Amino acid sequence: MTSLGKKWLLRDHAIGALFCCRQDHCHKNPDRWWCGIRLIIGLVWLALFLPGPAGSQTQATSKIIRYRERETSSRYYETYEAKPRPYPVFVRGGIPQRKAITLSPIAEKVRRRKYLADSHWGLKFYERLTCIKCHPQHARNLHKIRAKITCRQCHGEEPIAGLRHYYSKMKLRRRHAFVCAKCHEGANSSFATYVIHEPNPADMNTRESFPLLFYVFWMMAAIAVGTFAAFLPHAFIWGLREFLPDNFLSGLKKRFAGRRKPDGQN
Amino acid sequence: MARIKRFTPAQRLFHLLLMLFFLIQAATGLARLYSATNWGRFLVSFFGGSSKAFAIHWWVGLFMLALLAVHVLYVLLRIDWRRFPKSIYGPDSLLPRREDLGQALQHAGWLLGLRRPPRFDRWGYWEKFDYWAVFWGICILGGTGLVLYNPVFSSLYMPGWVLNVLLWVHRIEAVLAIVHVTTIHFFIGHLRRHNFPMDLVMFDGSIDLDKVRHERPAWVERLEQNGNLHGTLAGSTPIALSVVYYVFGFSVIAGFIYLLVNGLANITRLFG
Repeated sequence: MTSLGKKWLLRDHAIGALFCCRQDHCHKNPDRWWCGIRLIIGLVWLALFLPGPAGSQTQATSKIIRYRERETSSRYYETYEAKPRPYPVFVRGGIPQRKAITLSPIAEKVRRRKYLADSHWGLKFYERLTCIKCHPQHARNLHKIRAKITCRQCHGEEPIAGLRHYYSKMKLRRRHAFVCAKCHEGANSSFATYVIHEPNPADMNTRESFPLLFYVFWMMAAIAVGTFAAFLPHAFIWGLREFLPDNFLSGLKKRFAGRRKPDGQN
Repeated sequence: MARIKRFTPAQRLFHLLLMLFFLIQAATGLARLYSATNWGRFLVSFFGGSSKAFAIHWWVGLFMLALLAVHVLYVLLRIDWRRFPKSIYGPDSLLPRREDLGQALQHAGWLLGLRRPPRFDRWGYWEKFDYWAVFWGICILGGTGLVLYNPVFSSLYMPGWVLNVLLWVHRIEAVLAIVHVTTIHFFIGHLRRHNFPMDLVMFDGSIDLDKVRHERPAWVERLEQNGNLHGTLAGSTPIALSVVYYVFGFSVIAGFIYLLVNGLANITRLFG
């Protein structure tokens, strides 16, 4: 047997091992290749319709820019938002029943959104918006001012679950572990009740939402204002009184008394 | 020109440390409070960054609490325990007395030109107020500061949202203290005609006898009646030392005025 013949034999064995099953019909069938082709078609089918491995999945927000790549490369989170999924999301944890006092249709929607797995589902032009466009009152907080922490670093990537969604990272029962403890090592559930998006303590609405903050703020403000109301005029008048000569007031009295006297006589 | 002793070296040292600590606390605290503004960022950078400014604030805060503890110990040692209940109600004590209220009202009447000036003893009512305000301030600021230093640990013993409230208490009390010292305390201490340009009594510990006789006649009369006046006379301060006192005192005043003016100028940016 020539060396060329050996090579051909080796190739036949290799192809047979790769593409031919060992069942009887394959050995009986003269066209042994057909079985291998069916296998290849099956693999292509699977590759097309089964999801890829986790690492290959990215959130595509538009046709040209991929959100995660931009986020990691530029560290720029806020001017660019991911698009929420275009289908309704499954709600867990239940939607609260209507109270006796009905809310306006929009308020009702907002309240229900707190229970959605994707709280921004179905918002029009969502990909064009930024967080503070709709939540301006949450823009100023100690995290942002002191540590330049952005919204996404706590609230996460899309889809952002509603605060009351059962599996939300921000739900109070697991916020300390999934969000706070990323920076505050050892954070507990009590720590997680710190109100980072603090309401304005002077605002009358805070009396309803955070009464202790409201009353303590105004109590301290009253102490401060009371102190200044008493001692600022006191200091100023004292300074003025010492600056004027000692006989200033008595001189004034004499002067005016002296003028009135002739009038009284007349 | 005879002078009379008013403060002991220990009391002057307490005031000196309190001045320095309070100035540092005000600067580092305002740096944190105003860190959203350009001025706040400048202050933070002056102290070498946010974490260093906070570390200074924390350590100096601890020093202030230690100073308060040492001062309380000092006061306990200075009390005449043999005549205990009476000794702390005397005119040399800083505890508020019934006469203080009457003197305050009479002084207000004199300011408005309605009454004769009150005959003050060793301590005026405004000085007692200043003294107890520092007590109150250090307790409130130190207490809330200790709790706020480690919020993770503190929240083991209280709900986390209490820290929101305590932070506001800390802020308002601090602003109250800074503004009070910079305006009222400095004005009464240094800008009045009798004290202008600076009352050095807290630095050199003694004060001119004629001036005291005019401002606090009841004190001098009491000393003369008890025969203690001669024992409380003190020598005059060397001029070189007075110059040092002036430079140091004006530097601290300038520092506080700088903080107050910039704090007021940037207050809209703080909320805007």
